[in-house]
Amino acid sequence: MFGSMFVRSFFMQAGWNYERFQNLGFAFTLRPALERIYPDREKLKAALLRHLQLVNTQPYMASFVAGNVARMEEKAAASADQEAALKSLPGVKQALASSFASIGDRIFWGRLKPMTTQICLLVWAAGGFSGWLFTGMDSKAGMPLLLAGPLTGIVFYSAFAVYWRWRGLKTGYACGGTAACGLDSVNWTRMIRRLSAAGFAMSLAISLLALGMLLALSGISCAPGGIAMRAGAVLGVLVLHRVCRATGRSVFFAAAALLFASLLLFSVFDFRPFELYI
Amino acid sequence: MLKALVSSALAGLLGLDTVQAGQFLLSRPALIGPLLGWLNGFPLEGARLGAIIELLYMDFIPVGGVVPPNGAVAAAAAVLAHAAGGLAPSLAFFIGLAAGSLFSPVEYRLRAARSSWGRKLDAQVMAGDLGLGRWVTFSLASEAVVTAAFVMCCTAAAGLLAAVPGVARLYPGTDFAYSLMPWLGLSGLYFRFRTQIYKKG
Repeated sequence: MFGSMFVRSFFMQAGWNYERFQNLGFAFTLRPALERIYPDREKLKAALLRHLQLVNTQPYMASFVAGNVARMEEKAAASADQEAALKSLPGVKQALASSFASIGDRIFWGRLKPMTTQICLLVWAAGGFSGWLFTGMDSKAGMPLLLAGPLTGIVFYSAFAVYWRWRGLKTGYACGGTAACGLDSVNWTRMIRRLSAAGFAMSLAISLLALGMLLALSGISCAPGGIAMRAGAVLGVLVLHRVCRATGRSVFFAAAALLFASLLLFSVFDFRPFELYI
Repeated sequence: MLKALVSSALAGLLGLDTVQAGQFLLSRPALIGPLLGWLNGFPLEGARLGAIIELLYMDFIPVGGVVPPNGAVAAAAAVLAHAAGGLAPSLAFFIGLAAGSLFSPVEYRLRAARSSWGRKLDAQVMAGDLGLGRWVTFSLASEAVVTAAFVMCCTAAAGLLAAVPGVARLYPGTDFAYSLMPWLGLSGLYFRFRTQIYKKG
């Protein structure tokens, strides 16, 4: 049962819609458990209809909710008064879904996902590929290195994601029926804090590495005035990004502003005071 | 042409990883970039486009019902605009960024169209048909086909743009703006974690 639910949990977001969100994926994931719990087809039908209603949580952490719900259904099926036993199910399911969504968003989308990019850039840097930073510069890198960067990040991220999908099912099933099920199984705050610290350390390393490479390459290829102009342009980008963040505008606004200004200066007015490439 | 079709189909399949299936991050621009670049004979430029797009897309988080710009579509459109469309990498990059943003309303409509499925599923199960697999399959197939078709359309639009006389006049401007994009992305990456540290979790 767990194996089948686990495999199906990878389709938790299939059919995502604005009316019932992950209802299809959740019912699809839960079906092997429901089939085992309710051999009677009419009861299985009623159970499937219960879980085709609205549900929305973070896709990896949904396993905690699915495991919990499977256990609650099992307890209800064994109970003399099934209706009474199922009364608390929607409330517990909704409470867990919201709580795990908040935790999952912070861990996976807010921290681990950006960390995979950092890992990719660090692997490329270790392999001697800095072409992503200097767009106009010729650089050499083999296909194995170009793929090793993103794939290392993916393996790191997926190891986390797959582990928590599996552990969520097991933990949720073990403590099924309680509104705090699984929420106290790990010190989530500490985990989030540690991931933030690791991410910040990598961000700092990549930023220093990038600035070091910019200064080194500028020193080799241009006069002191040129170095100052290049460093100034980078500083201007950082300031623009900060201003956009402070005023609630997305990074695309900054990108569009830079494109517009560059087109005006270099394409319309043919203004070329220094090398175009940084 | 055949390479562009195969690349668009691959982008459609890998794009499923964004929301619909797996979510192993196989749809990351940093992977799609070099992969499609390699298929089309430009692995280095593909990696460069993919990495910079990924850095900029880091700003968007798919929480709740938010439909952020699609990084997989952006990377595929950028690589194909350069490799198949014949545009300079710098202009192809901005075409890719625009394509990723333009895909958001398409994705929104796909999700909205699936809203009617709830009642249909209820009726099907009530009638005694308990099969959910075909709905899952249809959802995946429709998403992949729409994504692939969208990428193909962007490639065709890039090809048309490349044929416009005087388009090369834009390149000094796009080249300079493109050269600043990695720094914009790095700034986003740095401040994302710095803000988290200050918030203490």
